[in-house]
Amino acid sequence: MAGQDAGWSLMSRRTLGSLLVGILLGLSTGVFLGWGPFPVEYKNSALSALAPHYQEEYTVMVAEGYRVDPEVNAALERLRPLGKENTIAYVIDLTERYISQSNIRAIPIMVALVEAIIGPDNLPPVMQLYRPTPTATSPAPPAP
Amino acid sequence: MATSKHVRIGKGISWVALIVGVALGLAAGLVYTWEIDPVIERNTAPWQLSDAAREDYVVAVALSYAANQDLLLAVDRLRAAGPNRNVWEMVAEIACDRVKTGKTISNSDIRVIRALEQLYAPQGASGCADGLYPTPAPMVFSTPEPVMSPTPTLVPPPSKTPTLPPPTPVTAGDVRLTNTPAAGVYVLGRLQSFCDPDQSGVIEVRVYDRRGEGVPGVPVTVTWSGSERDSFFTGLKAEREAGYADFVMEAGRTYTVSLPGLASSSPVVEAVPCTAQDGRRATTSYWVNFQERAN
Repeated sequence: MAGQDAGWSLMSRRTLGSLLVGILLGLSTGVFLGWGPFPVEYKNSALSALAPHYQEEYTVMVAEGYRVDPEVNAALERLRPLGKENTIAYVIDLTERYISQSNIRAIPIMVALVEAIIGPDNLPPVMQLYRPTPTATSPAPPAP
Repeated sequence: MATSKHVRIGKGISWVALIVGVALGLAAGLVYTWEIDPVIERNTAPWQLSDAAREDYVVAVALSYAANQDLLLAVDRLRAAGPNRNVWEMVAEIACDRVKTGKTISNSDIRVIRALEQLYAPQGASGCADGLYPTPAPMVFSTPEPVMSPTPTLVPPPSKTPTLPPPTPVTAGDVRLTNTPAAGVYVLGRLQSFCDPDQSGVIEVRVYDRRGEGVPGVPVTVTWSGSERDSFFTGLKAEREAGYADFVMEAGRTYTVSLPGLASSSPVVEAVPCTAQDGRRATTSYWVNFQERAN
């Protein structure tokens, strides 16, 4: 009898130990998979949740659309779902970043929108060079 | 010895317990990472957007395409928004939804519908927005061309004693005082479209002074098709308002409303089809209000 009890005790300890080891293994694997290769994939997301790359592309698309639909308020309304605290400041910052990155394609598009939003007189000096229609007093754009 | 096989296999490991443990742990781990503490939502791709956000995204793609005419770029962007569907049908559906939900109030809305149609229609897709808002014909500014006349006709010399026509008597009742303002006096106060089958395609112009009272006698000019124009005065329909005037548009044309002394740019309106709330079709009408500047 004593031998049988000892056997059961040994069995339950081994079972319990194996179970705990298994749980630890499974838990670590599950956490790794759930945060790593297979994270939650959200659907029904808002534009504000878009990856920064897509948000910037969206902003450029809206700015480009301003050439077709030249209504500043409509353009700002389209940018509002991005959820920026200050949409105008965001557009200006992005434009300045494109200028610093020499993003030739996006710069004139964005500058045109910034000019429409804040007015030609308030355009930052760095953007004056890239105005679509520079004034006579504007300095000439730098030579390539 | 009475031991079951699964208890002592190998070096003291219960494989069944281990497998059960792994399964439990895996389930718990996934529940924790997917439900309790999921990855913070960021780096979302366009295909994960909600319907409303996807509509915004597709509208931006269409407007961008209308500006740059880069079809490959537009396709890439649309595929990002709907990778497993016909992107052209997706665009057509969005245009149709916008029409059905009444997003055709402003000129901006109409430009969006046109941009969407410009994107999907050439690709063979179709929807309920097809042809509702055709792009107006471009305005052609006619410039008189000089005509060479090979045989100029000599003008007879004027008579030495011209006979003046008898002066036309002017009565006080014939004199119409016009209220021509100085430059920069008025600004556009309101530009809004409305759809009323009983007043189809009407531009209702109202001119107000700085106190908000209607100003009669202000000449209003409406131009269309480049060289066509019509001028009329406010206040001729005194039964409406003192500063009121209206003009009936022809469907499918674009009109510019201006008056002397306008500081802002002249508003442009388009006589596009619309559907009233009762389902009747009409041409869009507009309220165009001009307001005298405060200083």
